[in-house]
Order: sequence, then C-alpha cells, then structure tokens
Amino acid sequence: MRIAVVRPQVPFARGGAEIMADRLVEELRLHDHEADLVTVPFKWYPGTRVLTQAFLWRLLDLDEADGRPIDLVVATKFPSYLVRHRNKRVWLLHQFRQAYELDGTGLAQFADSSEERALRRKVHALDRVALGEASRLFATSRNVSDRLERSTGLVAEVLPHPPQELAYRCDGYGDFVLSVNRLDRAKRIDLLLEAAALDPSLEVVIAGDGPDRARLEELVRARGLDGRARFAGRVSEEELAELYGRCLAVFYAPVDEDFGMVPFEAFLSEKPVLTTIDAGGPLEVVTNGRTGLVVSPEAAELARAAGWLRTHRDEAAAFGRAGKAIAEGVTWGRAIERLLA
Amino acid sequence: MRVAYFSPMPPERTGVADYSALLVPALRERLDVTVVRRGRKHAPRGTDVCLYHVGNNPDAHAWIVDALRRRPGVVVLHDFVLHHLVAGMTIGRRDGHGYLDAMEREHGVVGRLLAHGVLDKRIPPLWESRPEDFPLVSFVLEHATGLIVHSRTVRDLSRAARYERRVWVIPHPAWPVPEIAAERRGPGLVVGCFGVVNSSKRIPELLRAFARVRARHPESTLLLVGPTSPGFDLDRRLQRLGLEDEGLIHEGWVDERRLWALMAGVDVCVNLRHPTMGETSGSVIRSMLLGKPLVVSDVGWFSELPVGVALKVPVDERETDGLEAALELLVTREHVRAEMGRAAFELARRDHDLERVAELYAAALEESAGGGAVSDAVLREVSQAAADVGIAPATPEASELAKRLAEVDLAP
Repeated sequence: MRIAVVRPQVPFARGGAEIMADRLVEELRLHDHEADLVTVPFKWYPGTRVLTQAFLWRLLDLDEADGRPIDLVVATKFPSYLVRHRNKRVWLLHQFRQAYELDGTGLAQFADSSEERALRRKVHALDRVALGEASRLFATSRNVSDRLERSTGLVAEVLPHPPQELAYRCDGYGDFVLSVNRLDRAKRIDLLLEAAALDPSLEVVIAGDGPDRARLEELVRARGLDGRARFAGRVSEEELAELYGRCLAVFYAPVDEDFGMVPFEAFLSEKPVLTTIDAGGPLEVVTNGRTGLVVSPEAAELARAAGWLRTHRDEAAAFGRAGKAIAEGVTWGRAIERLLA
Repeated sequence: MRVAYFSPMPPERTGVADYSALLVPALRERLDVTVVRRGRKHAPRGTDVCLYHVGNNPDAHAWIVDALRRRPGVVVLHDFVLHHLVAGMTIGRRDGHGYLDAMEREHGVVGRLLAHGVLDKRIPPLWESRPEDFPLVSFVLEHATGLIVHSRTVRDLSRAARYERRVWVIPHPAWPVPEIAAERRGPGLVVGCFGVVNSSKRIPELLRAFARVRARHPESTLLLVGPTSPGFDLDRRLQRLGLEDEGLIHEGWVDERRLWALMAGVDVCVNLRHPTMGETSGSVIRSMLLGKPLVVSDVGWFSELPVGVALKVPVDERETDGLEAALELLVTREHVRAEMGRAAFELARRDHDLERVAELYAAALEESAGGGAVSDAVLREVSQAAADVGIAPATPEASELAKRLAEVDLAP
C-alpha cells in the first residue's frame, strides 16, 4: 500500500510524537509498504492562529501524489487529522490538550474572555468533524481514548505502540532511582527530589533537559541534595540504556499523562516503575505490587516506596520482569497489523 | 463568562422551573450564571450572553420573551408551538393588532384573516382548536441569536420555519433517581402508562390493545397514573372493554416520590402521543433511568429513541394492532424486556447525564457569545492570505476555500 503518515511539525522541537511518526514510517517500509512522512509547520498562538494554522491541513490534497493514488493516510496528532482523505485513519497520540484537560490549569492557553472561550470551543468543533471522518480511530492509550470519548463522544480503539529501540538490558539493581523525562513542571520531578530530601539514603539520577531545570537545580541546592541528586542532562541512546540497566527503579509521575513510553522502556530493562495515582496513562501498565508501586502524589509516600524497593530487591526484580512480559507484547508488527486491518 | 439566566424557577410549579432548578447548579460549575429575578426585563451589567427559557405558558414565560425582545440572546425552546404564549402576550394585553401582525408575519394574509375571526369571536381560539397549524414560533425565533432544543424534530421544525442561525440539540437532563422502594400494583406483569389520561396520549388505542393482550394473559395489569382530561370518560371505555373490574388500575395525580415508586414497580412503560410537535417526555426519561423497556408512538422525539430501547408503534389505522404486537412481545419475552431495559438505562446515563448536558450548554453559550468574533477573525486571516497570493473573491479558488472552511465549522 501507498501510505502517507501525517504529523504537524514544530520547527526546532522534537519529542515523542515526532519519534513515533518517524518510526511508524520506517516500520511500514519494513512491512513492504511504500510509506512517507508529510509534515506542515504548526504554530498555535496568538489568538485564532491555532485555527488558521490547523486549517492549512484542510487544504492539502493527498488523494494522490505524482499521478499515483495514496491508498491510506495515518494521522497522529492535532491538527494533522484535519487532512481530507477517503481512507483516513487516526492513531491519536493526543488532542490539543490546552483546549481540554489543561484548560483552567497553570498550563492553559485560553483566557476567560468570550472570544477565547469560543476559540477553545472551535477547537472542539474541529476535532468532532475531523476525527469523526476517520475510517478507523485508534488511541495510543485508554487514557487518550477516554478523554476523546468524554470530549467528543467518539470511540477509539486502544492501540499502544512500542518505545524507542535501545539496547535494553538489566545490569542489576543499583541504589539510585532514575527519572527520564523532559524537565518541565507537569512532569513533577520535584516530587522525586522532595522524596530524596526526606530519605537521606535515596539517590536519584535525572536524565533529560527542559525549562524547569533551573528551578529543579535550585531545589537540589536548597534541600542539600548535592551528591545524591545528579542531573545527567540530555543523554545518548547508549547512556540511556546503561542508566536503565543499572538503576533500582524508574520514577515516572507526570500529571494525567497521555501514556508515556518511559514505563515500557523501564520494563524492557526489567525495572519496576514508581508512579502516582493521578499519573493517567502510565497506570494502564504500572500496577501496584505487580509491575511497580503506585502511591499518592506526596514526597513522603514516594520516599517510603523507594525505600521499600531498596530493601526488597527480589520483589523489585519480579516487578520488572512482570513489566517486561507486558512490554514485549507490544510490537510494531502487531500494531501495524491492526492499524491496516 | 457571565450569563444572565431567564427562566421560571421554583417555587413556580412548572416543568421548566424544575428543569432550571436541576440545571443551574451544574451550569454554575462552568460559567458565571446570574438567575434574573422574575419580571426583570434587563440583564445585569457586564453580561456576556443571555439565556432565555421559552415555553407556551404566558404566565410563566411572557416576561422572559419581553426581555428577549429588548436584548436578543440564546433561546431554549421548550415548546415549538407558542400560539398560547403569543395570544397571552398580545390579546391578553389588549393588543389585538399585535396578534394580527404575528399571525400575518407567519401565515400571510390568510393568517391575518383568521386572526380577525378569532378577535371577532367568529371562530374558536386557534390556540385551543388548531395550535399545531399555527405555532407562531417566529415571534420568538426572530430575536434568538441561537437556539437550544431538546430534539432533532424541533431542530428540523425550526429550520422549516426558516430559522437560519445556530441550533444546538441538547438532551433533557436526567433527574437523580431517588432512593425509593418499588411499589408493585399487580400480581403478574404490570404495564405502566404515566401522564395525563386523554386521547392525544392514545389511551383509547392502548386500552383496546391491552384488552386483547389480557385476554391471553389474564394475570397482567395495566396501570394508568395521571389525571383524566375533562371530557375523557375513562370508566365508560373500560366498561366497554371489560377492563373495569380487574386488569386496570388508575391513579390520578401523584406526587414525585410516588411517581418514581410506581414507575419502579412496573415491567413495561408505555408512552404514546399524537399529535406531537417534538416535545420530550419527562416520563420516558424517568422510565429509562429506571431501566424499563418502552413502547412509544413512532412520532417526533419518540422516533429518535434508538431501536433496542423502545418499540415504536406508527400512528396509523393499524395502531392498535401494532400496540398489541409490541405489548405481546414484551409481556411474553423476559429477556427482551431485560435487554431493552439495560439499553434504556445506558442511554439515559450517557445522553441525559446532567454533567454532560451542562457541558453542552456551556459550549453552546460560549460559542454563541464569542463564536462570531472568532469566525470573523479566521475569515479575515484566510481572506488576507488568499488575496496575498492573488485569489480574488468569487473565483473557483475562493469558493474552494469557503467550502473547506464550512466543512470544519469555521465559516461565519
């Protein structure tokens, strides 16, 4: 089949959505399809720019390319699913979250004026139309699927995808808890640092970079965690696999995350995941006492959970292995088979 | 966003007052809502959008329409036929000319002549004799910047009445089911019919159909709950059908708690109607919340109920036969009753959920208040970009752009 994978592009930024779409194209090619990536820049501010930039997708003609038909379009993310095609499938990573669950929070985009409120509703209307047109609708997690159903009434099949390919391995269960994430407030890495402040034996390694780094570094200084909390910054794939391989457990507790690939990456390294009851998508695979520990979002609780894992390494290893069995079941082959069925 | 909310409110005893008492608290979790005191004709200062609940009762709604005519806003149309309201607001205020004008505006010269006939007492009042032929809904629609209705039927009727602005179909919110013990009124299977007992609720047809079913299933009971309309001789009809001694129980008006208890105690609910102008039935929504299988007339809003929730009986010369077949099926098939009851409950839980309804209201009000400005801004930007690359108005390229904007609801 001739397949166009479509996704928006924020120039100079790259994250999970970009990695996933690129990988999907590669995997489709490996499965003997002619696949290509189609991107359009996206800027969602100021004012109605979120709508006019989204509208650009509506003007594209992807029925054919260079005189030959395109059989299928796979869209992944707002606003790429506005594209018109007779066989449009959407594999939804997330909607435009500022118009939904982030509205009214510190990460909100739309103010309280009549125009801004209506603007937000127009984003909802776009979603209802564009996602409603899809011949098949998939969501990367139950959390994303539930949000979609609540906001639009549309029902998506849950179709997770595997994490990035690394040389996953388990080199034992060291003394440190690893955080792998972009450093921004919604990821709540400060919670892990506060836990370390409460438990003088807890060591943490924080991989990743982002706008919250300065604040987190200040927190480390203020709590006297120098030496026990290390910022590894952006790490190479080899370094990341090595950190996963050596850590005791992986901390991953963003607020109401769509899904997040980190738990799968931890599991493939046979490591348990420490998360919180309000983390959203991760809770679909992190089960308390089976593949990790799920606690309330409080530093003391987290410190206790990390301490328990340190003194129960056999259980930590068992949780990691149980997680690995789950993660190994999610393969590109299976995902593509369902996507194209 | 600040909303001025015009509606009858308790202690007024109207369906719309109860509706608003249920809705307002949920709406206040989303918007800054001020309920306007009865009789006031102005919205509070700083209001972004006004919401007007309009029904056919002039005592309850005339002041609201007065306010609407001063400041247009979003109208919740609880009744499509507003003739009684308009008569109350014109003839009832000694404004015969207003009535003549309203009739002429909607029904032309013939309407005006008929209105003269009413004013001169040459013909019976049209709001009593033929209201559905002369709904007079334009009296309200012409001032509505947007319209909220409870059924697709009323939306379609509004469109047929040439209302071209935005219409939102928002289901009636479901009441919380009270903690109440079911009260069974028969030894065998009980079929319940709740509401006013009269011909437009198809009670004669129901009685005939049930008499035939009962001949085969003598343990079954028909429970009618509701006052009898003047002139409707229920006893004589029962006598004729041999249902006067047993097989039928009639209770007149009952209070809300007893209504729930009796409804919870039946096995099947019947709710028939003809004529209808798209109105929803509170009884049907209550019975769905209780997980009861339904038999309804295949008209108006009732036709919109999904197959699997309600058996829909056409109103035609074979109506009684159709009712008999529907009742026979439900009386004899327990698993059908159970399956339909589950589907009914699920529909009520999903579509009529109060939080969902409040969210739909908030969306409608927010779109209404700021949507025009947003659409204008989008159009300006797209037009400017098109002009920058030489696309002139009224060209095929401009038409294509307009079509694409309309497809995704971005056209003004």
